[in-house]
Amino acid sequence: MTTTTTRPPTSSLATAAAACITLARREFTSYFRQPAGWIIIALYLFLASLVFCLYTLVPGRPASLRDFFAISGWLLLPVAPAITMRLISEELRSGTIESLLTSPAGSWSLVLGKFIGACAFLLAMLLPSALYVVALARYATLPLDAGPIISGYVCLALVGLLYLGIGTLASALTSNSTLAFMLALFAILGLMFAEAAGAQAPPGLREILFSLSLSPRLADFAKGVIDTGHVVFFLTGAGVCVVGAAVVMELRRWR
Amino acid sequence: MVFVSDVHKSFGPVRAVRGVSFELRPGQIAGLLGPNGAGKTTTIRMITGALIPDHGRVTIDGLDASNSSAGARRMLGYLPESAPIYPEMKVREYLDFRGRLFGLERGLRKKAIAYAMDRCWLTDVANRRVGKLSKGYKQRTGLAAALLHNPKVLVLDEPTNGLDPTQIRETRQLIRELGKDRTMLISSHILPEVERLCDRVIIVAAGRVRADGSPAELVQRTGATYLIDAKLVKEGDDERVLKMMLSVPYVADVSMRGARSTGLGSPWRQWIVSARPGAPDLREHIALAMAEAKISVRELHAELDTLEQVFMRILDEADASPDAGLAAKERVTAA
Repeated sequence: MTTTTTRPPTSSLATAAAACITLARREFTSYFRQPAGWIIIALYLFLASLVFCLYTLVPGRPASLRDFFAISGWLLLPVAPAITMRLISEELRSGTIESLLTSPAGSWSLVLGKFIGACAFLLAMLLPSALYVVALARYATLPLDAGPIISGYVCLALVGLLYLGIGTLASALTSNSTLAFMLALFAILGLMFAEAAGAQAPPGLREILFSLSLSPRLADFAKGVIDTGHVVFFLTGAGVCVVGAAVVMELRRWR
Repeated sequence: MVFVSDVHKSFGPVRAVRGVSFELRPGQIAGLLGPNGAGKTTTIRMITGALIPDHGRVTIDGLDASNSSAGARRMLGYLPESAPIYPEMKVREYLDFRGRLFGLERGLRKKAIAYAMDRCWLTDVANRRVGKLSKGYKQRTGLAAALLHNPKVLVLDEPTNGLDPTQIRETRQLIRELGKDRTMLISSHILPEVERLCDRVIIVAAGRVRADGSPAELVQRTGATYLIDAKLVKEGDDERVLKMMLSVPYVADVSMRGARSTGLGSPWRQWIVSARPGAPDLREHIALAMAEAKISVRELHAELDTLEQVFMRILDEADASPDAGLAAKERVTAA
């Protein structure tokens, strides 16, 4: 009399990938179901447009998006933790995590899916800024140089990836989303100031702090330099954080 | 089907579960009964794989429950306590999400959702947001989600907690129907619920299994009490009747309510006979013994303990045992 049967999974990897996509999709759409998602986008676009209109879209100024990228880099500092703060914390607080962790998804797909969902939201947030490129191309007297714009977006994406990774890890650590926000924010600020702290630190620790420091890399990005080392740093950093978050979730089953 | 073998779990200094073992046969509806803080939810979380036991093992149809690979999880449908669901999602949408998580393909998923919504009376609210639903509907949405992949085993943690009487009745009816073709484990601290729904009761207290059996067996276990209203043949015969009754097999104790309650000088007496734990029905034996002694009996009545009395007695025993203590504080006894 039952109409449903469970088909055996084609492979555990395929199941995990499917679960991952399902979770990413749910996460992405849930941002737009809550005022928070819209407010984050609105605030970001408001400030970014303000910079664009006041500093870039001014007669006589060079047709570059440099100011926009600079402000976006700074805005990511509070925005990324705001995007990720509820990611896992809220599931822990409300108890919905229970039915996720007991589904075939498991901790790894769960964390990766949520991270991808957050990245997709960041992308959606940045998407309207393409209008600036269109506006610039329309009104600039000289032809637009595509190079710096593409590299600017790549840098923004890399920085965003790392910040969201840090935020995801912070969110996995606590069921309090405000705390998750603060943890992520301070972790990012810590990386920002690692260079200054490293200058005072004893040798040994100094090298570590220098290598972790964000500010020289961000400065290079601002100049339009995309160093392979920097790309590897941001991607690895984001990866380590996501793996860390998955390990934290797995450890919760053992605690 | 579900095999729980000597599982232990501690949270820091709190030893929540200290060696729980039981086995559920296919098609069995078992109730996990115990006061709050007895270790019910921790046990259930180990069965569902949300927690890994410190010691011991749980298998579902032979598959290790702590292994996060999909095997055991596909066998199992789980309704966590108070059925937490994303409030911003619509009922059908949530079920679709769950179906995808379990890897159900499109056609199958649609069928499964329609079936689960029909079974849990959710069709009317399919497009309502979960956050706007009443607690009863929310609970049923959780139940529908647990059913979606047609699991062989259903684990329900406090399924009627916080529902109003009508909702409780409906949910029980649903659980009974679902239990016809599934193995079920229902955790509860509500006695009548377990008594009505389950064909087996596992009583836990302070992290251990204290009793395990069908409600009838548990009730029998503590032994019945018999009330006998009979007439003495001659004055001063009390002693003889008392001895005679004590010689009946399985009788543990006999006491008498004398003339005071039946009227001064009356030959009528009331005896209260308590049987040993695990004794069979003694009414026939008592009646025969009375007839042999030529005592006329006008009433012989057996009183079995209610499950509630059994439960309370088991809890008292658990409290008296040396390892009790932590769980006893927050105890809310059955409704």
